[in-house]
Amino acid sequence: MGLIVREKAEYLATFRWMEVCLMEMLARWVPTTPEMEVKVLMGRHIWDAAQHADALGKRTFELRAPLHYTLAPLPAYVDKMNELASIEDTVSRVQVIYDLILPAFAARYQEYLQNSDSLLDEPSFRVIERILIDYARMRKEVEEVRRELGEALVGDSARTREWSQQERAISQIVAHGSGSTLARGVSA
Amino acid sequence: MNASSKRKTVQGITLCADPAREECFRVAQGDSEMQTFEDSMSEVARRERLHRHMNNETGALEIAAQCLADFPEAPWDLRMQLARQAFDESRHVRALYRRLRQLGGRKGEFPIGNFEWAVTNMCDTLAARLAIQNRTFEAGQMDLLGGLHKIWRSIGDETTAEILEHILVDEVNHVRFANQWIRKMVEEDRRLLLKVASAMRFLAETNAKLSGEPSTGAQGTSFEHHSKLGINVEDRRHADFSDAEINEILRQSGMGSLAATGAKG
Repeated sequence: MGLIVREKAEYLATFRWMEVCLMEMLARWVPTTPEMEVKVLMGRHIWDAAQHADALGKRTFELRAPLHYTLAPLPAYVDKMNELASIEDTVSRVQVIYDLILPAFAARYQEYLQNSDSLLDEPSFRVIERILIDYARMRKEVEEVRRELGEALVGDSARTREWSQQERAISQIVAHGSGSTLARGVSA
Repeated sequence: MNASSKRKTVQGITLCADPAREECFRVAQGDSEMQTFEDSMSEVARRERLHRHMNNETGALEIAAQCLADFPEAPWDLRMQLARQAFDESRHVRALYRRLRQLGGRKGEFPIGNFEWAVTNMCDTLAARLAIQNRTFEAGQMDLLGGLHKIWRSIGDETTAEILEHILVDEVNHVRFANQWIRKMVEEDRRLLLKVASAMRFLAETNAKLSGEPSTGAQGTSFEHHSKLGINVEDRRHADFSDAEINEILRQSGMGSLAATGAKG
C-alpha cells in the first residue's frame, strides 16, 4: 500500500465512519432487542465504539485533516453495512456485531498497520492497537453472555461465514479524494 | 421505523410505544398496575425495589441510545457524553440484576413500567429529551438515591447501599452534562426554550393524568414523590444546577422555608 500522509488520513477517516456506524447500529438495536443481557452488552459497547471514533477523529487532525474528519466508505461497503443494520432478530444481531463486524474491522485495521510505518505513524498505531485490544475484550464479553443465555443465542455459523465472505469481497473501501477534500476547515 | 416513532395510547394520552422486553416481563401502563408492599423494606419489597430500579436503568440506557440514533447531527462531544451514559446505565442494570439474584429474585418477578421512555421519546429535539430524562427524571433519582442508600444501610444491607452510592455518582455526571448542554443549545437557538418548556408541560400534564394527581407545574409530581427523602441539594450543585434553580425546586417540593434561608447541601 505504501500510504502517503493524505491517504493515511483518508483511511483513518473511513475507520472513523465505521466506528460511528457501529455505535449507531448498537444504539438503534438497544431499545429494539428484547433480551436484557444482550441489550446491556450492546449498551456497554456503544461507549467503546464512541471512544474509538473519538481517538481516530483526533488523529485525523494530526494528519492535516479536519478534527473528527469522517469519510464514508465506497458505496458497496455502505450498502453492506445498511443491509446488516436492517437485521431484526437478536441471534443474528449478535452474530453480525461480534462474529462478523468486529473481526472484519480488525482485519481492515491490521491491513492498515501492515502498510504503514510503525515509527513514522506510531500515533496511529497506538490508536489502532488499543482498538484491537478493546475488540478482543468485547468478543470475550459476548462469549460470557452466550454462556449465560445458552441455546437462546445459538446462531447459524454458515450464515456468518457467508456474510464474512461478502464483506471480504469488498477489497477497497476507502474513497480517496483530491487534496482539497482534506483541507483544514472542511467540515467533518 | 425508529423505536422512538412508534406510538401507544394510555388513558387517552398518546405516548411512545414501549421498548422491547422479554416475555417474562409484565409491562404496566400505570402506577396502579405496579406492585407495592405495606412493609416497604420487607424481603419481597426489597426485591421489588431492585427489580423496578433495574428496569428504570434499562430505560435510561435505551433513552440515551435512542438519542444517539435519532440525532446523528448533534455535536460530537455531546454524543460522546450520551455514549458514556449508555455505558454507565448498562453497568447499573448489571449491578442491580446481580444484587436481585443474590437476594433470590429473578427477571420478570414483578411488573415493570416504561413511563420515562414513553414520555421522553415524544420530544423531537435533543434539548427537550435531555430536559425531561436527564434534568428531571435523573435529577429526581439523584434526590432519591441521596437518601435511599442510608435506608438500605440502616437495615444492614451494605452491598445494596454501596451499589446505590455508585449509581448516584454516575447520575450526577449525566445531569451535569445535560444542564450544561441545554444551556449551550438554548444560547445558540432561543427557540429551543419553547420546545423545552412545551416538553416539560407535556411531562407534568401526562404525569398528572396518569397518576390522578393535579399538575403542579413543570417539575410537578416527580418531586412530590421524592419529598419524603428530600432534595439532594449538594449533588444538584455538583450537577450544575444554579442556586436559583435549587431554591425553586425546594419551593415546589414544599421546602420553601429552606429555600428562603438559602439551602446548603
